[in-house]
Amino acid sequence: MIAKPKSKPLKKTLPLLILAGPGLLYFLINSYFPMFGVFIAFKDVNYAKGIFGSDWIGFKNFTFLFQTSDAWIMTRNTLLYNLAFIALGTIVSILIAILMSELLNKLYSKLFMTGLILPNLISMVVLSLLVFAFLNADSGFVNHSILRPLGIPEINWYSEAKYWPYLLVLIQIWKTAGYGSIIYFASIAGIDKSIYESAKIDGAGKLKQIRMITLPLLKPTIIVLVLMSMGRIFNSDFGLFYQVPMNSGALYSTTQTIDTYVYRALMQLNDIGMSAAAGLYQSLVGFALVLTVNAIVKKVNPENALF
Amino acid sequence: MNNKKGLGSLLLSMVICGSLLSACGGNSNTTSEGSGNTEAKAKAAEIVFALPSFNRIPDDLSKVTNAINAITTEKIGVKVDFRLFGPADYAQKVNLALQSGEKMDIFTTLGQFSNYVSKSQVAPLEELLPEHGKELSAILDKDFGPDILKSTTMDGHIYGIPVNKGMALPTNIIYNADMLKDAGVSADTIQSVEDLPAVFAAVKKKLPDVVPFGPINVNPTDTGLVNWMKGASKVDYLTDTTGVGVVIGDNGKVVNFYESDVFKNGIQMMREWFNAGYLQKDTATTTITAMEMVSSGRGFSFLGGYSGMEVGKQLSAQVGKNIETKRIAPFYFDTSAVNSVTWMVSSTSKETEAAVKFLNLLYTDKELINTILFGIEGEDYLKVDEHHVKFPEGMDANTVPYTAMLSSGIVGSESLQYQMEGINWSDVELKLQENKDTTRSPYFGFIFDQGQVKTQMSAVNNVVNQFLPALVSGSVDPESIIAKFNSALKDAGAQDIIDSKQQQLDQWLAAQKQ
Repeated sequence: MIAKPKSKPLKKTLPLLILAGPGLLYFLINSYFPMFGVFIAFKDVNYAKGIFGSDWIGFKNFTFLFQTSDAWIMTRNTLLYNLAFIALGTIVSILIAILMSELLNKLYSKLFMTGLILPNLISMVVLSLLVFAFLNADSGFVNHSILRPLGIPEINWYSEAKYWPYLLVLIQIWKTAGYGSIIYFASIAGIDKSIYESAKIDGAGKLKQIRMITLPLLKPTIIVLVLMSMGRIFNSDFGLFYQVPMNSGALYSTTQTIDTYVYRALMQLNDIGMSAAAGLYQSLVGFALVLTVNAIVKKVNPENALF
Repeated sequence: MNNKKGLGSLLLSMVICGSLLSACGGNSNTTSEGSGNTEAKAKAAEIVFALPSFNRIPDDLSKVTNAINAITTEKIGVKVDFRLFGPADYAQKVNLALQSGEKMDIFTTLGQFSNYVSKSQVAPLEELLPEHGKELSAILDKDFGPDILKSTTMDGHIYGIPVNKGMALPTNIIYNADMLKDAGVSADTIQSVEDLPAVFAAVKKKLPDVVPFGPINVNPTDTGLVNWMKGASKVDYLTDTTGVGVVIGDNGKVVNFYESDVFKNGIQMMREWFNAGYLQKDTATTTITAMEMVSSGRGFSFLGGYSGMEVGKQLSAQVGKNIETKRIAPFYFDTSAVNSVTWMVSSTSKETEAAVKFLNLLYTDKELINTILFGIEGEDYLKVDEHHVKFPEGMDANTVPYTAMLSSGIVGSESLQYQMEGINWSDVELKLQENKDTTRSPYFGFIFDQGQVKTQMSAVNNVVNQFLPALVSGSVDPESIIAKFNSALKDAGAQDIIDSKQQQLDQWLAAQKQ
């Protein structure tokens, strides 16, 4: 009785379903099945008893995250860095996208685009060595070729924590902004050209066009992208915070994030229960943040909300 | 847009499925082979044996694996699946195999003894040893004395077999002998650390571009300075690496090492060296090792723990400079000196009997040990005399088909190993003698169970990583930083660790008296 009316849409969607099948399977295997593993976060894993047989210990695995005064520092660092990355990253990406779209020469535009994406392809390990070549105390470019000839006292970059917030934000923007601008560039390219033409006829200059047409029409894209990065606000790029400052202890006050703390703390202990707890904590906070921000967006402008 | 998305994930999933399938294919191949064999010949048990190698790892191990299997199937009826990993990923590969339930029968600890034991990842061996490991026990008794297995025994169970090699590692100053000559200093003037500043000053004056003293090790708690302090002042770290709960001397009192005068004085000394310009500016953070500094000709010396007297020769060959060494502090035998390199059988192993049989052979069979270390005679090495080998004509460590020999500190009994040509054989005997003669900590055999204070351990580790490198390299002012360091340790729960350790140590001491 129900089968008949339902069979029609199925016939229609079957090819699409088959097409999506492998992708769905991939998500099922790699993203959904592993979720059952979260219970490890509440267990004292003992291999002789097996994972299922190990004792339940409640929230004990989570306590190590809040054991010290570091807990506050790493949470603050993780949040503030990510907020800076999201805010500055979005602004710089949009700026690049607008400038690119105003570039009428196709060849140059393609050339610049490729150049801007390039930093994104460099691995953090290689990047850390590049940074090291600049900031090394004895032979680094900044100390050796800029500060010394100018007679300015040299800076021991890897033991002075106060410079690193700026350095890390700069490095992150340099690395990701070009890549991030692609989506904005594509959205701008999708804006109906006739709107601009009519604006031009009405006497709007370039800046006014950008302010009144491009930015408002980019808003949905911006919101979606910011929402997606909100979900990862409690995660940090391990390479950026561990490799680039060369794991220098003196810099922990400004480079320690939750990920690097967990890595350092558990390197010696090799405890999967605690690792799982840290991962779960980060995911839950990320999930909550996405829901919150989405709810706010929904309240302000329902059309722009993600769901 | 939607279509594109679907296509993208389709392609992605195809690639992933492909790689998954190929990975599975590789796996199932080996397992089916193994099970087929055991069915055919019930006696040929198959075990997986993972060895770290500090040397180049060859692409094709099959020849050596076959040679090993020829020996083991004939002598003990065991087939060995031989795996070699680099030192950097060894622990990771082993941990991954243990956690995922992959077959992994015999592996070494690399400093993680109590960790493996506390998670029940290793099998107790005390019931198997008397039957299948008689010769093994005998050779350990002969070379170390009867109580060596104490260091791998927890709650009455023997969990590992220590490597039989020169384990006493006195602190040496390792230096470039040519530079010392240039500076016009006689090696005889170096007897202890107090003599070093004068030598550094002379080197710095004569060779201003050379860094007199090399940077610290990568691992903060395993620096030359910390090891020197341990040996010179009889500090027992009591089997964890944090240094928060140690006993200095023999008063049985667990204290925070970083609050002790031994530590303060050592750091003060390094600070003076740093201020005098004997170290690089960026010692605390550099990734260049002291050895690399010396071999590039930019460094003059560093501190390192080495057994025997022939280290200079080995290092000279390795770094291409004229290297000499001088002992400046004795070694102090504590539990982790022994159990940090220990062979273990995994608790998931289904062939524990075969594994112990193989371990027995690994310590007592000259042919097996040397095949693992040097490969196949005539192809990978040539014999010079009873104890010595050399590379075939025109080849060196980098060009022979197989060599794992730099891991000789890890496999079996050193007295049964061949040595490279030019190494004095009496050195091997000296090392074994020193194993017996070196002062032992009165707490030798005590193993700290970290289970109760896991969270404090992780927090304390983090604090140590934060402060110790800068302190041991002399790059910060000890006065203020040591105080900060200790208050951060207190915040992280150092006292809980000390209390827990004290309690366990008292219990252990009481049990020893009975």
